[in-house]
Amino acid sequence: MRSSLPVEHTASTTLTPIQPPVVSMTPGAPTYSGTADDCSTEQPGHHIRAVRTLDPRTKLFLLLTANLMLFFHVTVTTQIILVTIFLIPLVVAGRWKLTLNFALTYAVLTGLGFLDPDALGVPWLHVISALAVGCTMMLPCFITGAYAFTTTSPSEFICAMRRMHVPESVVIPCVVVIRFFPTIAEDYRQIRNAMALRGIAAGGWGLVRNPAQSLEYILIPLLMNATNVAQDLSVAAVTKGLGHTGMHTSRTQIRLRIIDWLAMIVVLIPLVLDIAGVIQ
Amino acid sequence: MTAPNSPETNAQTANQTAAKTAKTGKLEVSDLITIGVFAALYFVMVCVATLVSTLFTGGFGSIFLPAIAALISGCVYMLLAARLGKFGGITVMGVVIGLFLFISGHFVLSFIASIVFPVIADLIAKAGKYKSKALLLASYVVFSYGLTGPILPLWFMKDAYIASLQARGKDAAYIDGVFANINTGTFIISMAAILVCAIVGGWFGQKMMKKHFVKAGIV
Repeated sequence: MRSSLPVEHTASTTLTPIQPPVVSMTPGAPTYSGTADDCSTEQPGHHIRAVRTLDPRTKLFLLLTANLMLFFHVTVTTQIILVTIFLIPLVVAGRWKLTLNFALTYAVLTGLGFLDPDALGVPWLHVISALAVGCTMMLPCFITGAYAFTTTSPSEFICAMRRMHVPESVVIPCVVVIRFFPTIAEDYRQIRNAMALRGIAAGGWGLVRNPAQSLEYILIPLLMNATNVAQDLSVAAVTKGLGHTGMHTSRTQIRLRIIDWLAMIVVLIPLVLDIAGVIQ
Repeated sequence: MTAPNSPETNAQTANQTAAKTAKTGKLEVSDLITIGVFAALYFVMVCVATLVSTLFTGGFGSIFLPAIAALISGCVYMLLAARLGKFGGITVMGVVIGLFLFISGHFVLSFIASIVFPVIADLIAKAGKYKSKALLLASYVVFSYGLTGPILPLWFMKDAYIASLQARGKDAAYIDGVFANINTGTFIISMAAILVCAIVGGWFGQKMMKKHFVKAGIV
């Protein structure tokens, strides 16, 4: 029993900081609050997207397009055109650093993909070349994914899912997942502190040296806490009417604007042209 | 879960999930929240697995992603199955994970894999009434295959490279030579790795359950 002592101790210490967020239910709260504004109705003075981003559904569409590119093996020309288009919304949303990173990575990988290992006389370069081609294919998905992930607020995401008639049994776990990530990070820090205090897995390679023990000591308190949080969250959510049938209202408004439709069309054109064989 | 919900609220929410969970109790809001919490933990495990897998295998990082994820997330799965004990929970968790994988930029086919395999896993676990250890282990193995979705593009990539070689005028024999090592062999190894890792991970999870949670009265 001695070995699991720190585990149980951390389980009890990590409990304390969990209580306040449970009461406020950070991301979900606007979604559940039974105020009168509907997803679909336009009312002045309400929470409208502060950052200039596209509608969540448009983001989903971009993601799908990126996936279709992978599926149809688009040519390099189309790929370059579409990657450029995908990077524009990232710039508009003000994610300069991310855009630059993606653009550079893409340029380097495309360059590597054009290498001719035989002309250079080093056949093993095929490994690198193949990897580069593979990665450039994946990159559009990652770009659109990063865009969707970094620019969508949880309540926008939830609102979009409800508008797309995703069943409530999927929406609710999603709300909780988003809500729970920060808690996990916070718990993890506290667990590591508690472990360090007892000199367990301290230092840079401490966790790697004894993986099974690290896994047990970190995961078990997290799980212990998870079961408690689940219980608290249920109480909070049911009190706020999450179990209510029928239309749920939201403080966040999402709307497909002209720019959203435009983005969808612009993205679709190169893809269709490619599949039709116009772009070589 | 014995969350102090009022019966009316439960009955209301149950309507939506009723079709899915006809017999063995319905998924209520409290259950869905439990699923969400565990899905979040599972997703974190998947992220850790991605990191580890990328560190170990370089560019073809995600080949062993499902295997490593299976190795470390046995506890999460076993605790969820024990806490919930209802049909639908494992399925919903798979769907939520698939959704998050898709949004974070993974291949859309991963979504299909992460629905089909969890449903089968759920059925297997249900056959053992979520208690039978052997069946739970089997269901965990099946569930772990749900993560093969993210690695499917690797086979697409190979096609793409072959296409790009052909476009540059290399002959077929030469292309076959390049890919002598990277073919179904890797696929089989990666699938076998999932099987072994899932069994070890599930066993570890069950051991941890016995050691910590049964004693603490959580299960």
